[in-house]
Amino acid sequence: MMRILRSIYAWMDERLQLKGLMEYMGKKYVPVHRHSIWYYFGGVSLFLFIIQVTTGILLLLYYKSGEALAFESIRFIMAKVEFGWLIRSIHSWAANLFILAAMIHMFSVFFEKAYRKPREMTWLTGMLMFFLALGFGFSGYLLPWNELAFFATKVGTDIAGIVPVVGKPIMTFLRGGDEVTGATLSRFFGFHVAVLPGIFTVLLGMHLLMVQRQGMSEPLGHRAEEEQKTMPFFPNFMLRDLALWLLVLNLLAILAVFFPWELGKKADVLSSAPAGIHPEWYFLFMFQTLKYIPGKIWFLDGEVLGIGLFGLAGVLWTLIPFWDRKSARGEQNRFVNYLGLFAVLYILLFTILGWLA
Amino acid sequence: MKTVQRLAVTVAVLMLWAGGVAAADKCLECHTATGDKPSALFMHDVHRTKGITCAGCHGGNASAEDMEQAMDPKAGFRGVPKGDEISQRCAACHADASRMKSFGSSLLTTQFDQLKASVHGGSALDGKERIVQCITCHGAHGIVRVTNPASPVYPLNIVRTCTRCHADAALMRSYDPKLPVDQLEKYRTSVHGKRNAAGDPKVAECASCHGSHDIRSAKDATSRVNAAHVPATCGRCHSDAAYMKPYGIPTDQQEKFSRSVHGVALLQKHDHGAPACNSCHGNHGAAPPGIESISKVCGTCHALNADLFSSSPHKGIFDQQHLPECETCHGSHEILPATDAMLGVGPEAVCSRCHTAQKNPRGFAAARSMSTVMDSLRMMERRAQDLVNDAEQKGMEVSEPKFRLRDVHQAWLQSRTMVHAFNEAKFRTAADPGLVAAQAVITEAEAAIHEYTFRRVGLGISTIIITILAGSVYLFVRRLERRHQRSTVSHSHHTPS
Amino acid sequence: MMTDDQHPADEQKRDFLRIALVGSAVAFVGAILYPILAYLKPPRQGEVEVTTVKAGKLSEIEKDSGRIIRFGNRPVILVRTASGDLRAFSATCTHLDCTVQYRKDMGLIWCACHNGKYDLNGRNVSGPPPRPLEEYRVVLQGDEIFISRRT
Repeated sequence: MMRILRSIYAWMDERLQLKGLMEYMGKKYVPVHRHSIWYYFGGVSLFLFIIQVTTGILLLLYYKSGEALAFESIRFIMAKVEFGWLIRSIHSWAANLFILAAMIHMFSVFFEKAYRKPREMTWLTGMLMFFLALGFGFSGYLLPWNELAFFATKVGTDIAGIVPVVGKPIMTFLRGGDEVTGATLSRFFGFHVAVLPGIFTVLLGMHLLMVQRQGMSEPLGHRAEEEQKTMPFFPNFMLRDLALWLLVLNLLAILAVFFPWELGKKADVLSSAPAGIHPEWYFLFMFQTLKYIPGKIWFLDGEVLGIGLFGLAGVLWTLIPFWDRKSARGEQNRFVNYLGLFAVLYILLFTILGWLA
Repeated sequence: MKTVQRLAVTVAVLMLWAGGVAAADKCLECHTATGDKPSALFMHDVHRTKGITCAGCHGGNASAEDMEQAMDPKAGFRGVPKGDEISQRCAACHADASRMKSFGSSLLTTQFDQLKASVHGGSALDGKERIVQCITCHGAHGIVRVTNPASPVYPLNIVRTCTRCHADAALMRSYDPKLPVDQLEKYRTSVHGKRNAAGDPKVAECASCHGSHDIRSAKDATSRVNAAHVPATCGRCHSDAAYMKPYGIPTDQQEKFSRSVHGVALLQKHDHGAPACNSCHGNHGAAPPGIESISKVCGTCHALNADLFSSSPHKGIFDQQHLPECETCHGSHEILPATDAMLGVGPEAVCSRCHTAQKNPRGFAAARSMSTVMDSLRMMERRAQDLVNDAEQKGMEVSEPKFRLRDVHQAWLQSRTMVHAFNEAKFRTAADPGLVAAQAVITEAEAAIHEYTFRRVGLGISTIIITILAGSVYLFVRRLERRHQRSTVSHSHHTPS
Repeated sequence: MMTDDQHPADEQKRDFLRIALVGSAVAFVGAILYPILAYLKPPRQGEVEVTTVKAGKLSEIEKDSGRIIRFGNRPVILVRTASGDLRAFSATCTHLDCTVQYRKDMGLIWCACHNGKYDLNGRNVSGPPPRPLEEYRVVLQGDEIFISRRT
């Protein structure tokens, strides 16, 4: 048995020079310190993404887009297809956990200033992937074509339409018309299963390649220490990763069985909005902020101002490796710490407020 | 003080009427002399006894000796009133409470307003006046009290008065082609009509139900004869024990009806399709339906049940034994929603009133067997419903068995109807598909619940597997690290690349 | 972190660990593959049911006939009149909860439970039903018939 495996490896090695790759990986070390735990969230995000791709492909086998069939086909998957309920519930739950893990990953990188030179590009691709993940969430939410999703999409695209000049065309582009209709569903389906995954995969490849090339970043100030504990990336870190992934899988299975994702009522384009319309939790803090902003501030429209501020914050956040000079020089930057803390507290507070509302 | 007041009023009235009320009615004197009919009639008119002269309606000066003077338009003479003016002349006093009081009358003063709002207040064919004026019913010159047997609106006469128009097919067609004109004919066949003809003024006549001045179409929701008000209208007499005493019939029909399935539908649920008293007893020809005709009467709505009954073995036997068909089991006025317990041989069952194990044993056996089937259908439906609810509560998709539950319910309803064939084989044709459908729903719902358990067990197993795998991977790493540590202790430290 | 394990004990433990590792890995693959393979197996009813809105093809429905169509959790009766018109009504009798049917011999919609009758405009014309049947909208797209709720 082992002999066969060894000969297959030799055959592959002869053609692909695997030895070099193995040696390279064997030489890669992961720093061990009290913040090491945060290194795992990138891997967890990756694992959840893989799950999303797998379950997504499985769902595609039975899902039918279109106003007349979308809702029915999901119901069909959940009722008629064996384990369809499991696949769909896992897809929905993993989507949410994916965004959560990506968020934690992003904030940990932010607080450890791991975006600083030479890892600006890694941060940038990561941020782009995060935005794409939000796009995945937003477009996927509509696909079951149920009441809640229909109105959440209506509200969500309405907000996009508020932006001056470009807003209206963007809204029309997203909706495939003036209103949220079956055309919107077709578009969102296209975005969700073709456009976004394509771009995402390219970015993910770049991101992983850069992580492998550059190795793990270490928190500032660690360099001064003489003794540094490390752990080989392969197999130690990877196996630890694997163990954690398995626990995440366990969690997913438990969530999917005990809290199956509901389907709700089929969307009716002509019905009035039911009570309790809210977007997915990761949009809630923005949604809630827009609710609190008064209609007019000076001569500016409140909502336009709110969207503008969020846009600006997003851009500044994404570009942090380019304006945080202090961290790049290896100095402590307290301002960035406070900024990050403010962002975390703000998101927490407004998400809770939105949840309670 | 009282005398002074009365005097003042009298003076005022005298002045207002400008001689209309006078000790001597010169008009009447002359007109009686000429022997004309109106004056002869007016001699015993109730108005003359109150001191009202011809001038009261016709105007002019009743105290003037000279004819020219008496009938001078300048003195207010207006001759014979025409059209709506007639009723207005009457209303001048009869709509004025203080004037009526001055004549010592306690009559209502709302009649004219009521008339205007009634069906008779619409415009006549020529479009110039109302269909009916006061004099149409009350007469013009010989008006007497309603309680006076000579009055055209006295209970014994009113039937003739109304049918002067209402039995005239040509006239009625010109107003309401749909309205029947045979009410009198029917009325004379009714208990009311027969007694009325025999001289009993207490029984219902036209006005008893339709009202007098305020007659409205039966379709009008405010009408006394609108279906929703019919029980109360009939009940005005029929629920009055003192009034009904001489007739020796029960007076609890209205009360019973209000509790019945029909009364609840009509009076509480406002279902105007539900029957009121007249639906079974007839309107103008009101009489209790005959024993053999009960199933026909009930069958006007409950057609299938009636058909089934009529072709059942019970029909002949019931007629033979003078049993009142539907009423035998369901009662008459207080018909309650039929329960499954009515079928069978239990204490509430109606079958066992005639069928016992000793007497009529074939029916006894059939009743018992049908009741058993009905009970099991009911029980299976409930069980299927519970299982579906349970599965649904567990988050399982059971919309299909839920949909099929309707079939079970339908079979139950259908077999309840089919009982009236009083034939076990026919009954089974309705009940059996329900039993089959119920069994199918139960099987599907149980499968869903089983699936629910399967998911939890499956989760448990895979959780254990994954946990063991994760644990062993972790322990494996720890082992690797420990080994590595051992080897590096003897060698040198690694430095990160 | 370090323990002073003896080497032989370590090896013994390792053996046990290896069994656990390989065993649970195999079981894990099974636990993952079983639901996926079951999922891939085509379900008994090959395709999603679409009866909630689609009512069949016009060419398949004879004139002077009716059929019951499932509309969500309620039945709807689709009637094609003798003159070829399509009409759809709630198939739940307004009297009790029975399902009505089309009666060719009467040219009416008929409820078997208590002989309730409705004309082809859904109006209750005879028997105990207190109200007319709720009408649904019928839309033709080519040969395909769609039924939707009236709003």
